[in-house]
Amino acid sequence: MATPVPYAYRPEKTMPTIVDIAVNNEGFSTLVAAVTAAGLVETLQSPGPFTVFAPNDDAFAKLPPGTVQTLVQNPPQLARILTYHVAMGKHTQAELIKLGQIDSVEGWPIPIDGTDGFEVKNATVLAADIEADNGIIHVLDNVILMG
Amino acid sequence: MTTTLPAAETNLIPPSTHPHAAVIHRLEAGGSMLPDTPDNLMQIIGIYKAYAVPMDFYWRDLLYIAERVFLDPLPAFKYFLPQEYLDLHNRYAGETADLLIWLCEASSHPELLEFMAKGEVNRKWPKLFHHLWHDRVNMEFAEACMKAMLWHQDMGGRYNDYLYTDEYKANCDRAINAYFKRNPLMLGLHKLFPDMFYEKCRELSYYSNLGLFWEVMAPVFFEMSDIYDEGGFAGVPAAMDFLVNGIFAVAGRPIYHHVYVGDECFELVPKSKGFNWLYEAALPYVESVFYRTAPFRGTKSYNAQAGQVPLEQNDFHYGILYADVFPVGSAGIPPTLLMQDMLHFLPPYLSDYYQQHCRGEDDVLIQLGITFQRSMYNVTSAVIQALRGALLYPLNDPNPRHRLANRQFFEQQMDRFLRPEARLNEIQTQDYR
Repeated sequence: MATPVPYAYRPEKTMPTIVDIAVNNEGFSTLVAAVTAAGLVETLQSPGPFTVFAPNDDAFAKLPPGTVQTLVQNPPQLARILTYHVAMGKHTQAELIKLGQIDSVEGWPIPIDGTDGFEVKNATVLAADIEADNGIIHVLDNVILMG
Repeated sequence: MTTTLPAAETNLIPPSTHPHAAVIHRLEAGGSMLPDTPDNLMQIIGIYKAYAVPMDFYWRDLLYIAERVFLDPLPAFKYFLPQEYLDLHNRYAGETADLLIWLCEASSHPELLEFMAKGEVNRKWPKLFHHLWHDRVNMEFAEACMKAMLWHQDMGGRYNDYLYTDEYKANCDRAINAYFKRNPLMLGLHKLFPDMFYEKCRELSYYSNLGLFWEVMAPVFFEMSDIYDEGGFAGVPAAMDFLVNGIFAVAGRPIYHHVYVGDECFELVPKSKGFNWLYEAALPYVESVFYRTAPFRGTKSYNAQAGQVPLEQNDFHYGILYADVFPVGSAGIPPTLLMQDMLHFLPPYLSDYYQQHCRGEDDVLIQLGITFQRSMYNVTSAVIQALRGALLYPLNDPNPRHRLANRQFFEQQMDRFLRPEARLNEIQTQDYR
């Protein structure tokens, strides 16, 4: 009788983390640079789980000149804006639309609307429910701001 | 962030029926609450320049008081700005700035230095003489604005909440103990009545907050004046857009309060708290100073029991957007102090303009006050457009639901100008002077 291979020796099929997905996909270089500048890489690689609303490069490019530069020069202030794009827990599009609103890690609530597709505050979700090992990503076409 | 819309794009939603519908439609088309006329553009840019010069003193002195004068029990010389603060480089102006977008001088403006040396009397008296003769920059105006922010407090942002935390009090304790280490009387007072110095520290944290806010606004206004002098603004909306872009560019500037005792720095409000210029300084400033403030003592009697003063602080409406500028010129009211300060630095084209209207020299402070009111309606428009851009949708958004959300936002903002004291209707015509 063949001895069963212990589970630990089986080739692992691990899922990438939220950070891995952002780093390895095109269109998130500004977000990755911002997360790095704000010192949030380690947090977003931790078990979480997190729901991340990830603005793509075009979203950051819509901000007037100087906005991103000032934020990158000031990591605590940048971290506050970035943590407004993160919620605790792994929430899919369907769950979020049902909730209608979710508290961000920053503290301010993020309104969700499902009337026409999937909208997060004043941003439209371009790609939803991208699963990561430690959470889920929804890609936004705008940087969202508290208030 | 604001773009003027072609006519075809304005028909996605029905016209507004709001009493200020004309202004709302103008905002929706990328305009300002102030009509786009060459006369308005000339007035507001001229006054921005005249405002920027004393503001260059205000922000420096606010930071000096917050950082160095601190809890001096007899701060008789708090308006005597040391050379170190006159030379201090504005972190958002000139070639040493964090952002190379406002290229005016980083140290004190030459017109300010000239005025500080000679004053209105145009003589080089000792500094103390100018001070006692009240021939100086009216720093009391800046302090009145700071007090409005301190008093109204809860206007969004997290700055004020932090000033009541144990962490803040522990930071204050360290600074107070160092500042009064050779003054057992004050240390004893602090032990007996700890809230007294905490409250004073909170006030000083607002000095720092306002100083850091105005450190940005002064170069913005100088730059606008320079651009106008070179023929660079096409109209009032272009001037407003310049402000909108400026608001976004520095939105993430840290707001903090550092105190220096000798060479040692005590962080009462550390930069690491993440407080930023837009949320913790600019928006509270606009709310408390442009909209609310408080009735000026000595200008009018209010009977609070007869309901002449609102019960809620957020209903206060004594700011520049509601002001009857006629009492300007009376002693002791903060706008008089500001108008007097701006009078010293008017560009020649604006001085000439006032000479040609109303009573010329005799009522120049009132004319200047009304120009200032127009200019602050334009700044408020920039804030409204910036908020719309940050929280809502582009003006040319093709989705009618988004356009309607923008409409509701503009209408809510205009609701604040429905009370009879608002001057929004008056500034629509050039006859209001």
